[in-house]
Amino acid sequence: MARTNREASGIDRRRFLKRGLAGGGLLIVAGALPFAIRSTRRWPPHAPLRLLSPDEYAVFAAAAARLVPGDGAGPRWPSADALDCAGKVDALMATVHPEIGKDFRRLLRLFESGLLGAVIAGSPRPFTRARAADQDARLEAWRRSRFGLLRSGYQAMKRLADATYYSSPEVYALVGYPGPPVVPNLPPPNSPPPTLPTPSVPR
Amino acid sequence: MKVANRIIDGAELPDLSSIEVDYVVVGSGAGGSVAAAVLAEAGAKVAVLEEGGHYTRRDFNMQESWAYPALYQDHGNRATDDLAIMILQGRSVGGGTTVNWTSSFRTPEATLRLWAERHGVRGLDAATLAPHFEAVEKRLDIGPGNPDDVNANNRKLLEGAAKLGWAPELIHRSVKGCARLGYCGLGCPLDAKRTARTTYLADAVTAGAQVYADCRVKLVEADRRRVRAVTADVLDRATDRPRARLVAYARHGVLLAAGAINTPALLLRSEAGLESGMVGRRTFLHPTVPLISFYDQPIEAFYGAPQSVAVHHFADRGAQVGYFFETAPAQPMLSALAMPGFGDSHRRIMERLPYAQATIALLIDGHKDDVGGTVEVSGDGRARLRYPLHGSLRQAAVAAITDMARLQLAAGARDVMTLHETPIVIRSEADLAQIAAAPFGPNRHTIFSAHQMGGSAMGEDPSRSVVNSRGRHHGIDNLWIVDGSIFPTSLGVNPQVSIYAHARLFATEILKARG
Repeated sequence: MARTNREASGIDRRRFLKRGLAGGGLLIVAGALPFAIRSTRRWPPHAPLRLLSPDEYAVFAAAAARLVPGDGAGPRWPSADALDCAGKVDALMATVHPEIGKDFRRLLRLFESGLLGAVIAGSPRPFTRARAADQDARLEAWRRSRFGLLRSGYQAMKRLADATYYSSPEVYALVGYPGPPVVPNLPPPNSPPPTLPTPSVPR
Repeated sequence: MKVANRIIDGAELPDLSSIEVDYVVVGSGAGGSVAAAVLAEAGAKVAVLEEGGHYTRRDFNMQESWAYPALYQDHGNRATDDLAIMILQGRSVGGGTTVNWTSSFRTPEATLRLWAERHGVRGLDAATLAPHFEAVEKRLDIGPGNPDDVNANNRKLLEGAAKLGWAPELIHRSVKGCARLGYCGLGCPLDAKRTARTTYLADAVTAGAQVYADCRVKLVEADRRRVRAVTADVLDRATDRPRARLVAYARHGVLLAAGAINTPALLLRSEAGLESGMVGRRTFLHPTVPLISFYDQPIEAFYGAPQSVAVHHFADRGAQVGYFFETAPAQPMLSALAMPGFGDSHRRIMERLPYAQATIALLIDGHKDDVGGTVEVSGDGRARLRYPLHGSLRQAAVAAITDMARLQLAAGARDVMTLHETPIVIRSEADLAQIAAAPFGPNRHTIFSAHQMGGSAMGEDPSRSVVNSRGRHHGIDNLWIVDGSIFPTSLGVNPQVSIYAHARLFATEILKARG
């Protein structure tokens, strides 16, 4: 409950980190680690990167591969890489406020941290080098964490991956979406005329 | 610099330019557009500065991948500081009206009474506002609710509410010649939606106003009790980075209409007019909690008029925070953001999209003891929104989810799914009790906001409000605020038409005061 109150008081992410708690101190260490000692597994970009470093790009690409439909989805579902989710996120983040871009890059460093992975999910390897099941366990740990910071971080990654994936026309048919109608043609009627009770009219 | 009366893209402006007009209007949405039209039609020279780009119906391709980055604040990524509430807020010529879902309501009389009784607002009752609502409704072609607008998504809300005696209402919509495509939120490709761009901005330009797209106002230049000018970065639309600067001098005054997040942020960044201590305080969002229900027959909530039915049965819950129900359109991207989980579990939900009904509960914040959120600016000048989910709001959210589930069961849903990170699946009344037991808090349940209000509240007490009951700043004589930030609380209905009407009243009063 104390944690809930802390969230409710609106303490922002960085101040929360600086305020310590054991977890917070660990996060500072993990987030500050340079990529060089993590041996991030590279993931070749489809096009020249605009904001992210190759290591940062690789972390998001690896996370997106697990966040969007995964191994059980079957071959009809394109991979995150096939839809270039990481490249689209790189392009998007290059146009947002520079400080948001910096925050996002910090998040990617934290996400890759094997130290954090070991603590929250028993997975000590860099995220990009962890097995798929361990990557999923780490995503779950972020998603369900009692620390608001980690839940926020998970949502940032998840929303960016989903936004780039599910806005791709290649996915439309797989979710039963015929796509936008061709203007000026109208869409087919999707339902019979409604039977209405006597409506009251708001003013 | 001399320019023709029209909408000018930032790319047309030189590295440094300056203009001088009678009134500078910051923001081209509902409030800015109608205020600009009223002033320009009375003969004043007016310039409207808009941060977003200028797009027309030929640009509106009904693709989420284009629309959210192009037409929404922060390229579709605006959120509270902890990312717990996703903020849908427009950013283009026409502001929020470009992406508004067309639902049109007058300010409820109960809300106006609350403002008079508890927030020091004077002379602002339904009768005073009526001629302005009438004018706006006429200009926006707002007609009575139309049963033919009701798609399957809305029909389930209507049928369930009717069965339970919860008084569903047909929503008035700001459309003319609507084909019910379903893409209001992505920009109307038919111009059937009556937006600021197609109505009041057009009127303003016809009357001689200049509209500058791609101009992000950074500072209000105020000196004691007068504002002299605003300075803006001219943005390169492709990169959204400053490429030039525009200074707009105002002979008579400046009207802020940048929305309930950006207007307070602009004053805070400018360190102008902050004496009340209320700038950026009491920001309200109608925090919006969705519920997904699956039916045996297709719903196809991605097509048809997005909103045509509302339920206000729970708007007044006595001492508890009230709420009202509407629906949301369900194109794939917006749906995917709302659905919990990831990977295969998320995919299995998405595969049922054509059968999904999306009801939303909008919490009426600020009417009880809840004080809303705060807008601040960070060291780099960026607006930051904090919105704690206090206990009274959590209680209302849980009650609303339960009532929405009950409604959808009554409408015949096969199963109902909450958007907790661990969804609760409800198949009968007996399952409803699980909702209250589930954790509800930041990033434990999907929450949106499409209605940003407050942060520069109006009222007659300068220690409790930022502007008076006609939008004039208490400390800066020639500065007015004409957007949703003036509302002392949330409205309890979709706010767009209220913003138009209040701005029209305020602009009319500006003219009267000048004689």
